[in-house]
Amino acid sequence: MKKFLGKTALYLFLILLMLELAVRAFHLYTVDPPRYIDDHGVEKRVPHHNGYSVTGNRKQNFSEFNINKSGFNSHREFNPSASKYEIAIVGDSYIEGFHQDYQNSIGQKIEEKIEDIEVYQYGYAGYDFANQMHLVYAYQDTFDLIDEIILYLNYENDLERDRYTPNTNRIKMLSSTLFKIRDQIKLLSYGSKIGVLEPFKKLATGQNPFKTDVTAYQSNEIKEETKAEKLERDKRYIANFQNLIKLYGFNKSKTTLLLDTRRTSNVFLDFCDQNNIKYIDFSESFKKSKKSTNLIYDMHWNDHGRELIAEVIASYIRNKKKD
Amino acid sequence: MLFNSLEFLLFLPTVFILYWFVFNKNIKHQNILIIISSYIFYGWWDWRFLFLIILSTLVDFIIGQKIYKHGDSPKRSKYWLSLSVLFNLALLGFFKYYNFFIDSYIDLLASIGYDVKSPWILSVLLPVGISFYTFQTMSYSFDVYYKKINPTKDLISFATFVAFFPQLVAGPIERASNLLSQITNERKFNYERAVSGVKLILWGFFKKLVIADSIAPIVDDIFNNYTEHTASSLILGVCLFSFQVYGDFSGYSDIAIGTAKLFGIELISNFKFPNFSRNVAEYWQRWHVSLSTWFRHYLYIPMGGSKVSKLKSVRNICIIFLVSGFWHGANWTFIFWGGLHALFYIPVFLMGRNRIYADNVIGQNTILPSIKELLMVFWTFILITFSRIFFRSPSLTDSFNYIERIYSNFSYSAYTHPMGYRMTDFYILLALFTIYEYLIRKDERNPFKFKSKGVRFLIYSAMILGMLLFYDDNVNRSFIYFQF
Repeated sequence: MKKFLGKTALYLFLILLMLELAVRAFHLYTVDPPRYIDDHGVEKRVPHHNGYSVTGNRKQNFSEFNINKSGFNSHREFNPSASKYEIAIVGDSYIEGFHQDYQNSIGQKIEEKIEDIEVYQYGYAGYDFANQMHLVYAYQDTFDLIDEIILYLNYENDLERDRYTPNTNRIKMLSSTLFKIRDQIKLLSYGSKIGVLEPFKKLATGQNPFKTDVTAYQSNEIKEETKAEKLERDKRYIANFQNLIKLYGFNKSKTTLLLDTRRTSNVFLDFCDQNNIKYIDFSESFKKSKKSTNLIYDMHWNDHGRELIAEVIASYIRNKKKD
Repeated sequence: MLFNSLEFLLFLPTVFILYWFVFNKNIKHQNILIIISSYIFYGWWDWRFLFLIILSTLVDFIIGQKIYKHGDSPKRSKYWLSLSVLFNLALLGFFKYYNFFIDSYIDLLASIGYDVKSPWILSVLLPVGISFYTFQTMSYSFDVYYKKINPTKDLISFATFVAFFPQLVAGPIERASNLLSQITNERKFNYERAVSGVKLILWGFFKKLVIADSIAPIVDDIFNNYTEHTASSLILGVCLFSFQVYGDFSGYSDIAIGTAKLFGIELISNFKFPNFSRNVAEYWQRWHVSLSTWFRHYLYIPMGGSKVSKLKSVRNICIIFLVSGFWHGANWTFIFWGGLHALFYIPVFLMGRNRIYADNVIGQNTILPSIKELLMVFWTFILITFSRIFFRSPSLTDSFNYIERIYSNFSYSAYTHPMGYRMTDFYILLALFTIYEYLIRKDERNPFKFKSKGVRFLIYSAMILGMLLFYDDNVNRSFIYFQF
């Protein structure tokens, strides 16, 4: 029995070691560059990190990122000045663009379309509208020098808060020893990303780790919103939007929303029109596209989608410059 | 409780440690531990149905004694045997087939113009594994009746035999002569057996998690939306289903056999590489062996088997396959599937080729199979796979529509995975799996029979890596044969 238990433990250890080597050799793991909250209270990445972001179990998507001096994934540093023409695009993971090589980002594509322009992508996974408004407010000196600000608004998710509060608990958790170990052991990092460790995570956090399929599938059911519920939600979102403007300011002359009108309530669009809040709508361009605009493993924009986004933004900038 | 769940990952080592370190001095205590563990294992799904197992255990335990007691009186012992059969079939009939009979009766009346509203349809849950454990307890009564074994007087041993958790819900269906005798005898820990058990568990998990679960979403997508797919995708769907159901069920059996080995118990082999069968008869000697053996011993041979006239033998074959189909589920699709297999089997039987491959495998004395063997394997695979359209479809109408769409509008288009995954990954996976199975085809109990320790180690690692590469949290991880 001793031999059996001993050998089982030994084999288990050696197999885990082998798997760690395989995961490293084939770069199956994704690198999540460290995050922090800076002196202005802005949550972002620790500057000067390079690496590869991986999606899916079998490396279905593999792309290089580059965190610049400002703490954002970008092909360039952010050095605005009064003599240059710069635009800033602020948003969540769609703008952060870990699903693309940083050399092939939306910013890069816009710069290829318009001469003498610099595009700064202030993207960070999980940013909602409160994060974005606070960022522009916190870096006011920088944004004063920037000529155009485009805020990416995913209406369905981004207006849940009426003010920004830094998520210090998450940052603390991510910088804890446990997470540092996870990031060092690539097998753990990979297992965590693909969901294998989910039951163990639940066990560790006191949740029920024993998933029953019935419950899991029931929870996926889509509940249709009633008209009254939609209206209630619109009211709440608009109130949050107004409060964010009140708290952090909103320079209407150079700030524009980037949104998809197919996924944005008409009530909100009417509100924007009535209050002279400009928006760039990319829905038409996506609708007309014969090729898919999203990645096949998740809903982030693929290269074609990013190309279309870059085109609508470039076209907007060109028109604005003409005026 | 599923084998592929966190609860089992905690459950198995706990029971193993208690079994060999705490209760190892006394066989009775070990058996009690197995009973309690088995009831927890089963009750994890729905504890209410434990009463059925307990009832089935008590009834067949008593009947076994009665059959033996009246062994000198064929009439009375037959009476007690009939009672056992009736009881078990009544359980099955009520929980599994009741609504099917009522539905079929209503459909029959409707077909001759009587529209009947049924107040008789009941909302009955099908207890997991009922077909497996009722057949196992019936085998005990049969074996006592045919004097193959003496009935046990030890209720604890008998309850262990009925509820032994590794094979409780999906087999292999054990005969009392094999399993009960092991349960009543003292078990000593055997290193080689335990290691071979762990290897089988690993191989079983690979087949379940990597082969079956990874292709399940593709099969579901094609069968659920068959009207929207081209003929080439429909063919792909049913071919993949062949791999899925094999990986799922044989994976379960291997985990069960491996787990039993950890407790010092040998279960019979249930799968012997059926995908390499050279005719349908060989297929049935390699697929779900424990069920085929059950039907042969307790139905086919008592009816005369092949030792009667050709005509009667053909009748017996038809009965066996129809009953086997019906055993799988209360649906005309399964009966049709069984009938189809009878049609495939009868020509092989009439040509006297039904036993010619019983003792050898493809490429028995060569490294590679001959072209003739390959063609035979390919043809058998086509026949078996075709029959699976009926096995997988929800109704006969769907089955025929599925087939009709293949031949009436044949066209090719590359299939796109519902989640967008590269299909090439799956094709490579299945090709490697088939090649690997060919390499180990001579011994289903030893899937890692390579001399070099290094090679074996690399294969273990590759299999676990495969489990990670093809892991999908969204897949329903239940086993297909649980529904039977």
